[in-house]
Amino acid sequence: MISPRRSYRPELVALAAALFVACAALIGAISIGAVAFPFGAVLGQVVHPDLSTQAGRILWEIRIPRVAIAALVGASLGLAGMLLQTMLRNPLVDPYLTGTSAGAACAIAIGIAAGIATAALPLLAFVAALATALLVAALARTGSGISHERLILAGISLSALFAGIVTLVILLSPRASTSLSILAWLGGSLAGRGWSDARVAAIYAAIGAAIALALAPMLNGLRFGEARARALGVDVDRVQWGVVGAASLLTAAAVSVSGIVGFVGLIVPHVTRRFVGTDARLTLVTSMVLGAVLVVIADTVARSIDPPLELPLGVLLSMFGVPIFIYLSFRRRAA
Amino acid sequence: MIDIDGVALAYGGCRILEDVSLRVRAGELLALVGPNGIGKSTLLRAIAGAQPLDGGRIRFEGREIAGFAPRERSRTIALIEAEGPAPEGLLVEDVVAAGRLPHRPWWRWSSTPADRHAVERAIVRTALAPLRGRPFAELSSGERQRVWIALAVAQNARAFLLDEPTSHLDIKHTFETLTLARRLAHEDGAAVVVVLHDLNVAAAFADRIALLGERTLLACDTPATVFDESVLARVYGIPIAVRHEPGGLVLAFAVPPQRSAAV
Repeated sequence: MISPRRSYRPELVALAAALFVACAALIGAISIGAVAFPFGAVLGQVVHPDLSTQAGRILWEIRIPRVAIAALVGASLGLAGMLLQTMLRNPLVDPYLTGTSAGAACAIAIGIAAGIATAALPLLAFVAALATALLVAALARTGSGISHERLILAGISLSALFAGIVTLVILLSPRASTSLSILAWLGGSLAGRGWSDARVAAIYAAIGAAIALALAPMLNGLRFGEARARALGVDVDRVQWGVVGAASLLTAAAVSVSGIVGFVGLIVPHVTRRFVGTDARLTLVTSMVLGAVLVVIADTVARSIDPPLELPLGVLLSMFGVPIFIYLSFRRRAA
Repeated sequence: MIDIDGVALAYGGCRILEDVSLRVRAGELLALVGPNGIGKSTLLRAIAGAQPLDGGRIRFEGREIAGFAPRERSRTIALIEAEGPAPEGLLVEDVVAAGRLPHRPWWRWSSTPADRHAVERAIVRTALAPLRGRPFAELSSGERQRVWIALAVAQNARAFLLDEPTSHLDIKHTFETLTLARRLAHEDGAAVVVVLHDLNVAAAFADRIALLGERTLLACDTPATVFDESVLARVYGIPIAVRHEPGGLVLAFAVPPQRSAAV
């Protein structure tokens, strides 16, 4: 984008502000908890980790991994939602409403019940998310492209189906401990998650983000519609496969560590566009930052309202997410 | 510059054009005319490589267009589609800058001096300087058309294919748009193909006319040769009077007098 007459870029200022807020949220989230740490102690432990002290162990083995996972989940879902909304030019799609989260969750529930190794669960989630995305796209396809209404309808129907299957798996599982571990993971809670949970998921999220960022210039071409994008040399089919693949990787990463966390992928892109406009180079990066901020704050609230009791993250986000979704869909109809 | 050789095209599984052969030369404005639904836009898209051929071949300077990589094709041929969503939240100069997309490898995110130079040139060429800082969404259809042409100029293309660029425009903006298209041909030496409906406009601006009829190309020559009363009556199915006047060619409906006219 060229702008010889604009001396400063308001979008870049907004991105810098978002990054600043993200740093503040991370440090705040690390400080707040059952054991509170002053800001200086957090900073000291981050710069010079000292695992011989109790404070060091709490920070490095409990608090920091948990905040890092929250940031990973938020960044993944925010970016996945941004990718889907940009490609489909539909502000009402995200991993949750297209059923890909539910597909991944269903595969993981079956995986846990079947006793599959934890490290293999993200792969299972990825395959299921990809398959669900392709199925939803096939159901939504009409003669003249992808119908927005059919896409949402197909996504919600499949979500209901997968939720049913998950319930069935839980009920039919012969061991109570299996049922409990599926339930605990499914509620979208980050309680008790550590580094080992994050490692594999982080790899999936990183590959997904790399694909997404590589597509940014071509997604910018798609702002002019498919036909005009093709005229600008954009390989639209390749972009669509890339977006679906990247969104599936990101969704799988998020779902495999935190179960179904809804509405992050829906809300974050809206806020992002309001801040930085529609340039994909900025929106993709900003949606990651804001997604991380949202989930880190939500998770901090979830574990601080009434410690040691924790609200499931998914429950908390749905409480805020559903009213926002309803507001957005009605405003869209009125426009 | 562009050789169309025995081309057949299908739309929705149905053959709509057969055995179309014509050559578009550098430095000329060729108007593609014919009745609605005859396949003008499909042929235009085929020339741009955006529509698979059902037979024959299309070559740009001897190289088959189907063999171009998408980005390379966009650097050579600019297709300006008639319809498409208006991009939200973009300024005029941002839209023009999108013309540099095919010149940028995927890993380079920002514009180079060459990009900025090409965009400046396109803005000057299309007289968009006063509008460059305006939001695209606020422009009139005539101004938008000029921005799409500027985007194509920024592509550094040597052929411009415009699909009905004047369909929503009043007579002044039609004049401005086609004057611009003609300057791209005559001054910059580009090959320009324009799909037009208004035969008078086509006669006034085009160097040559390609007339599409049922299933094939009927004629491709100067307006005075192609616009023949008997040919037009056959193609359009209505009587059209052709008058050769000092200022150029004038085509008029031969409207039968109404019996119940006000007395």
